[in-house]
Amino acid sequence: MNRDKELANILNDCLERLLQGETIEQCLQDYPQYAGEIEPLLQTAVAAKKALAIQPGAEFKARARYQLQSVLKEAKPSRGLPLLSWQPRWAPALAIGLAFLLAGSGTVAAAGNSMPDSPLYPVKLATEQAQLGLTFSDIGKAKVYVELADKRVAEITYMVNQGKPEEIEATVQRLNNHLAMIVSLSLVEGAAPGEPPAEEAAPRLMQTPAAGVAEAPAPQLAETPAAEPAPEEAAKETPEQAEAKAKLKELLKQNKNIHPAVLRALLDEVPDSAKPALRQAIADAEENYQKALEALDDEDGEDEQGKKRHGEEGD
Amino acid sequence: MQEEQSLTHRARQGDKEAFAQLYENYFDKIYRYVVLKIGKADAEDVTQQVFIKALQAIASFKWQGIPFSAWLFRIAHNQVVDYLRKEKKVIKVPLNESSSRSDSDPQQMAERSLDIEQLISATRQLTRAQREVIGLRFAGELSVAETARVMSKSEGAIKALQHSAIVALRKTMSRTGNNEQG
Repeated sequence: MNRDKELANILNDCLERLLQGETIEQCLQDYPQYAGEIEPLLQTAVAAKKALAIQPGAEFKARARYQLQSVLKEAKPSRGLPLLSWQPRWAPALAIGLAFLLAGSGTVAAAGNSMPDSPLYPVKLATEQAQLGLTFSDIGKAKVYVELADKRVAEITYMVNQGKPEEIEATVQRLNNHLAMIVSLSLVEGAAPGEPPAEEAAPRLMQTPAAGVAEAPAPQLAETPAAEPAPEEAAKETPEQAEAKAKLKELLKQNKNIHPAVLRALLDEVPDSAKPALRQAIADAEENYQKALEALDDEDGEDEQGKKRHGEEGD
Repeated sequence: MQEEQSLTHRARQGDKEAFAQLYENYFDKIYRYVVLKIGKADAEDVTQQVFIKALQAIASFKWQGIPFSAWLFRIAHNQVVDYLRKEKKVIKVPLNESSSRSDSDPQQMAERSLDIEQLISATRQLTRAQREVIGLRFAGELSVAETARVMSKSEGAIKALQHSAIVALRKTMSRTGNNEQG
C-alpha cells in the first residue's frame, strides 16, 4: 500500500473513531509513526465539524415543517367527491354541477394542489364551496372552514416563499372570512336553545371581498350559517356529534397554536404593503380561534350543568 | 439501515408519516450541506425545495443497493447546482472579512475555532470533488460508503479525496492566518 493511501485510511479510521467519542490522542496511540502528520489534519477536521454544527432557525423549521405537511395533505386523493352519491339538495348540487361544467373532473382534481398564482386556483375555490354545500351540520361546516383556513395559511406561506406578494392580501381576506365563519358556526353550535347566535362575528361575514378575490359559485350557500337548531335537537347530542365536536375542538386548538406563529414568522419577509393585512390576519387568528373554542367549551359547560341538574332532580 | 429501508418503503407506498420521519431525520443534515455549498442567505429555501422534490419523486425511488441518503443528497446536489446556475451566484465571502479575528498563532487558528463563513470561504479554495466530500461527510454526516454512492466513486477514492481536502483546508486556513498577521 502506498503511503498516501495508507495515510488516507488512517485519517478516515481516526475520523470515524472521533465520531464514536474517542479523542485524537487515543486514536494516534495506534499510529505513533504517523502522529506528526495526522494530528494537525484531525484538528482541522474537528474544527470544520464544529463550524458545521449549525442549526436551522426554529421559525424556519416550524414553517418548513408546516409547509411540507400542507403539501402532504394536498397530496392525498380527494375523497370529497364520492359524496355526490348522497342526496344533495338542489342548490349544492347546482354548485357542484357548475364547478364541474366550468372545470371538468380532471381539472378539479388537478386544482386541488393549485396555489393562488395558478390558473386553476378558482376551480379549487369552487370545489371548496361545493364541499361546503354538501356539508349540512354546523359542526361539519365549521370543520371544513378550519381545514380551509389551514389551506389559506399554507397558500400565504407559499406566496411569500415564491416572492409573489400580490396575492397575499386577497388570500388573507379569504382566511379572515373563514375565521369569522368558524366563530359564527361555533357560536350557533354552542348557543343555548332559543338563544340567537352572537352577532359580533357576523359583520365580517358580509365584508366585501378584497379586490381580485375570486369568489366561488353560490357563495351564499357557504357563507350563511345553517339555521339555528331547534331546542329539542340541541338538547340531544348523539355520540357522533359529540365526537365530531371533540375533533373540531382539537383542530381549533392546533390551529390556534400554529397559524399565528406561522404568519408571524412571515412578517419579516413580506413587503411593507402586505404587512397590515398579515398583522390583521394574525390578530384575527388569535382572537377567533379562542372565541370558537370558548363557544364550544361554554356548551360543554352547560351540558355538564344540565347533567348535574338532571342528577339532582333524579335524587 | 434496516429501519430506514422500511421507512422508505412505506413512504413510497404513500405513508405520509414515514415520509415525515425521513424528513425529520435528514432536515438538519441537508440544511448544513446546502449552507456549506451556497451560504446561509438562501439555504432555507433550497433546503425546503430539496424535500418538496423528494416528496414528488419518492414513488419512483428504488432501493436496489442505493441507500435513501445517497438518493436524497443527489437531489440536494442537483438543487444546489440548479440554484447556482439560475441565480448565477458565486459565494463570495471575503476571506479578510470572515477571518477578522485576532489569533496570534495562525497555525493554531485552524485548530481552535472556525465559524461557518470561514469554512465556506476555505472550501471555495478546494476542488469541486474535495468540496463535495467535505459537504457529504462533515455536513451530511454520510459514511464513506454512502458518499461513494452519491459521487459514483470507490470508497478508496473517497478516502483519498477526504485526505487531500483536509490537507488543502488546513493550508488555506494557515495561509489566511498568515495573511492576516502580515
